[in-house]
Amino acid sequence: MTAPALEFHNVTKTYRRWLGGQQVAALSQVSFSVAEGEVCAFLGPNGAGKTTSISILMGFLYADWGRIRVLGFEPGSVHAKKRIGFVPENFAFYKHLNAEKLLRFHAKLAGVAVERRSALIRDLIAKVGLSGYDKLKIGRYSRGMVQRLGIAQSLLGDPELLILDEPTSGLDPSGRKEVRDLILSLKAAGKTIFLSSHLLSEVEQICDQAVIIDRGRVVRAGTMNTLLVTGDQVEIIANTLPEDLEAVLREWGATIERNARGVRIVTPGGRTREVVERLWLAGSDVLRLNPVKSSLEDLYMKLVGKSEAA
Amino acid sequence: MKLRTIAANTFGIFLRDKLLIIFGALFVCVILMMMSPLLAVRARTTASNLEGMQSYVLGLVSAIMYMVSGAGSLLAAWAAADAVATEMKSGTILAVMARPVQRWEFLLGKYLGVLMLMACYVVMMFGLSYLLAWMGGQRVLAASWMLLAYPMVRYAIYAAIAMAVATLLHPVLSWVFTLLLGVLATLVVPSEEPIANTALRWLSAGLYYLLPSTQFLSEDRFLNIKQATLRQTGWTEHFLTLTYGVDYALVVLLLAMWSFHYRSLKRD
Repeated sequence: MTAPALEFHNVTKTYRRWLGGQQVAALSQVSFSVAEGEVCAFLGPNGAGKTTSISILMGFLYADWGRIRVLGFEPGSVHAKKRIGFVPENFAFYKHLNAEKLLRFHAKLAGVAVERRSALIRDLIAKVGLSGYDKLKIGRYSRGMVQRLGIAQSLLGDPELLILDEPTSGLDPSGRKEVRDLILSLKAAGKTIFLSSHLLSEVEQICDQAVIIDRGRVVRAGTMNTLLVTGDQVEIIANTLPEDLEAVLREWGATIERNARGVRIVTPGGRTREVVERLWLAGSDVLRLNPVKSSLEDLYMKLVGKSEAA
Repeated sequence: MKLRTIAANTFGIFLRDKLLIIFGALFVCVILMMMSPLLAVRARTTASNLEGMQSYVLGLVSAIMYMVSGAGSLLAAWAAADAVATEMKSGTILAVMARPVQRWEFLLGKYLGVLMLMACYVVMMFGLSYLLAWMGGQRVLAASWMLLAYPMVRYAIYAAIAMAVATLLHPVLSWVFTLLLGVLATLVVPSEEPIANTALRWLSAGLYYLLPSTQFLSEDRFLNIKQATLRQTGWTEHFLTLTYGVDYALVVLLLAMWSFHYRSLKRD
């Protein structure tokens, strides 16, 4: 079994003010792991501890307690950082440089070979749609352009692990789609991606698993399939439904929708067998039977919506 | 390679720093204003007033060089205190530190960038001393390398102190602290009249050994234009003095690296 690309085990972090001032618990015994090649969403309301966790992963902050491994190394290790691409939240760059010079600066720090630099930089600029703007000073870029540049710099050095903190913030819908497609292509290339985002519908499309954090604690973690299956409702698609049976099913708490292709019955999970048997006895064919999945947004609101509203 | 990249980038940031550009412009204005009496004196010098005029010129040159040298200390402390703080404030440090760069490499790169700036300043100061001497009709008798090496080492000490303090405090506080330390270092230099109070004498002696003895590294010791006041110094003394300065700067820089290693890196 290969070691996870990211591992957090009982990580605790408290921010303290100097001279015995107030303490703020940012993370309390946070544990999760991300396997190699997976795309993991890191979700939670503002102030939940997402950026603190990412800062700890990158070695910017030190945890008070717990075990953290990034690609098998201590966080902040040069060996790990060689294999990581990172897009920080609210990307900041040297404004006096242009895209080409900034990427060259980062390429030098990343140890990209001199002979590969120019071609790589040109490709990345084209990949994030900044061709034609590469000689413009970054200080004159829009927020979306800066964000694209941030994504470009994270891809220097062909990283195995990408840590993206709000990569689509500031982007317009087409820009967001481009980033989504880029993430999907990186996923297809076998990269591990740890993605912090508030755009739940996008996350649902891209990610294999999710970690939801609130007030410094993990409130739910798992694969998308397990997270989104509620288990308490089942969807049955039948070709027909006699009216007398419809009345019975409604009494059992089922919801029924008729459409051109048949009948959709959503019934409480405990009555699935009875409903299917009654359908067969009534001469109906059961075309499909699936557990009802909630959307990520529903799950998120259920788990952290209240605290966010508060 | 990484150090060179960070140092060159730091130097580039300084060259575009508006505060630094204003400082430079004001400084040039002041120097030009101080030069005009020098030219006037030269024009009015005759055989009868030669000695008096020469003395006046030397005093003026000495005052200008003293000011330039002092401004260099201010600049070194400010640049070093600001170098890391600017990156923290803007958040650019996060993108840099996400690269395979150790914290000590980042700090050392920044320090080398400050030294690049100060090297430019020292060269400018060197040129100015020759220019002033020429304008005053005099000749600089000190060796060139002294006029370059001594202030450079002195500024390296100020920069290291300011950078170390800036890893703990706000850059402005760090700058003020470094300057106060420099002033205190000159106050505790043993004088011919011993301090009567024993506790104060011990405190003064302790601080004297602890604080950087930048008066040893002052180019005033060598930058004399009159042969009569030129201090003859052997190689051993040069070597020991400069080694002391470099050693002091390195120790303080190591302290800065240690402190920076444990610091939280986040946008301020």
